Amino acid sequence: MGFTELWSTYGQNYIDALLTTWGMTLVCFALVMVIAVFVTVLRVSPFKPLRWLGDLYVQIFRNIPGVSLLIIVVYALPYLNVVVDYLPSVIVTVVLVASAFGSENFMSGINTIGVGQIEAARSLGMSFGKILRRIVIPQALRSTVLPMTNLFIAVMLTTALGSQVPLDPPELTGVVSYINTRSTGGILAFAVSALGYVLTALAIGFAGSRLDRKVRVLR
Amino acid sequence: MSVNTRSAQLSMRDALYEEPGPKTRRRIRIGTGIAALLLAALLALVVYQFWATGQLDPQYWLFFTQPTTWGFLFSGFLGTLSVSLSAAAIALVLALLLMLGRISGIRPLAVVCRILTDFFRGVPSLLLIYFFFLVVPQYGIKLPAFWMLTAPVALAASGVLAEVLRAGVNAVPRGQMEAALSIGMRPFRARMLIVVPQAIRFVIPSLISQLVVVVKDTTLAYVVSYPDLLQNARVLITNYDALVSTYFVAAIIYILLNYAINQLAVLASKKTGSTRVDRMTQNPT
Repeated sequence: MGFTELWSTYGQNYIDALLTTWGMTLVCFALVMVIAVFVTVLRVSPFKPLRWLGDLYVQIFRNIPGVSLLIIVVYALPYLNVVVDYLPSVIVTVVLVASAFGSENFMSGINTIGVGQIEAARSLGMSFGKILRRIVIPQALRSTVLPMTNLFIAVMLTTALGSQVPLDPPELTGVVSYINTRSTGGILAFAVSALGYVLTALAIGFAGSRLDRKVRVLR
Repeated sequence: MSVNTRSAQLSMRDALYEEPGPKTRRRIRIGTGIAALLLAALLALVVYQFWATGQLDPQYWLFFTQPTTWGFLFSGFLGTLSVSLSAAAIALVLALLLMLGRISGIRPLAVVCRILTDFFRGVPSLLLIYFFFLVVPQYGIKLPAFWMLTAPVALAASGVLAEVLRAGVNAVPRGQMEAALSIGMRPFRARMLIVVPQAIRFVIPSLISQLVVVVKDTTLAYVVSYPDLLQNARVLITNYDALVSTYFVAAIIYILLNYAINQLAVLASKKTGSTRVDRMTQNPT
């Protein structure tokens, strides 16, 4: 099958798949940021049980394989009277896994600041809220741009898990098996999807490193 | 993210707060109590949900007392290990070649290696598995299940590892290379004997923690029906009709295995005394 034939037959499928992947990636990443901030707040709170919960969350979800978690969400939770539709299942899985990594990024962002700055801010008479707003959060955000860019790309790659459940329309990985069950797409059918991923990843990486160069704190 | 900041992390966590006075200390105690209660309530809710839906019934858990169950899971675990270790070894060799090609100074070779590195970093391993599972057979090549899984996992890891190794090479002080050249070593020899060994030493912790990504990728084994831990868990489910318990046990085994690998990476970074050198290309799949 040549490229023109492949594209005229399945072009629309590829475009829909690419849009699905992009949409899932954006939704997931937005949720990941929200939950990662929440988990990080738990982990730096002065309450031991909440710290413990935050640490446990991170250890569980950064170590569980995505497939294993997806299977639990899709097949095991209905037995516990928790029924989630296919698309939300994939999103929940990706968000749980990626937010653990996101929280780790935030934590190491906080760690790069240095105890001395907090002490200095406090000796200037800044309140706790002011220290967080003026000293900790701006610096932590700036130093997490590059890791978060990589997480963004990783979120996109993780949405490939969506090919393991029936989605309509399928995403960029699922569309390859969709096409190959209908005709012999050959290496081209695979290459089109791969190119969709690689070019998106390069674009995200490019934008991320530009932003990083702009906001990075030089030490 | 650097792993060996564990102790720094705790001190940083505490540095955020002033040494609490008696009033604040009481408030923290009350907050801690409330948090503990909330946590207990959450746990109780989860356990209740298991109990109310009958998932705590002994029929779902008793077969875990039989040695045959664990024997079967263990054979799957060995499958997971053999794919992971083979893929990791292949990925390391490929990554070294890609990295050496990229820093070789030979322009066309460097460009090709860079494209390959970016490609394997930018494509989900699942898509690579589909390539070996669906596309390669169309060209009349029949691979055994082991290789249909190991090859894509290794390729996916090689892109990331090449970048990790390159970061390690960049971390070796320039003087090392200059010194080697000034005592008359050829550039290639200097790179192989002086720079690369030190670079690898820098990135050993990152290499170990990349093993976690490889282990996670091997759970896609059921696509090519290779008997790994998760695949064997599926077989157990059809035998004992105990889906929830088996999937949870399998997940816990994976979590413990990956946790152990991560701890090993922390240990290695303490031992080599090197902060982890990587481009923070953590892939959470």
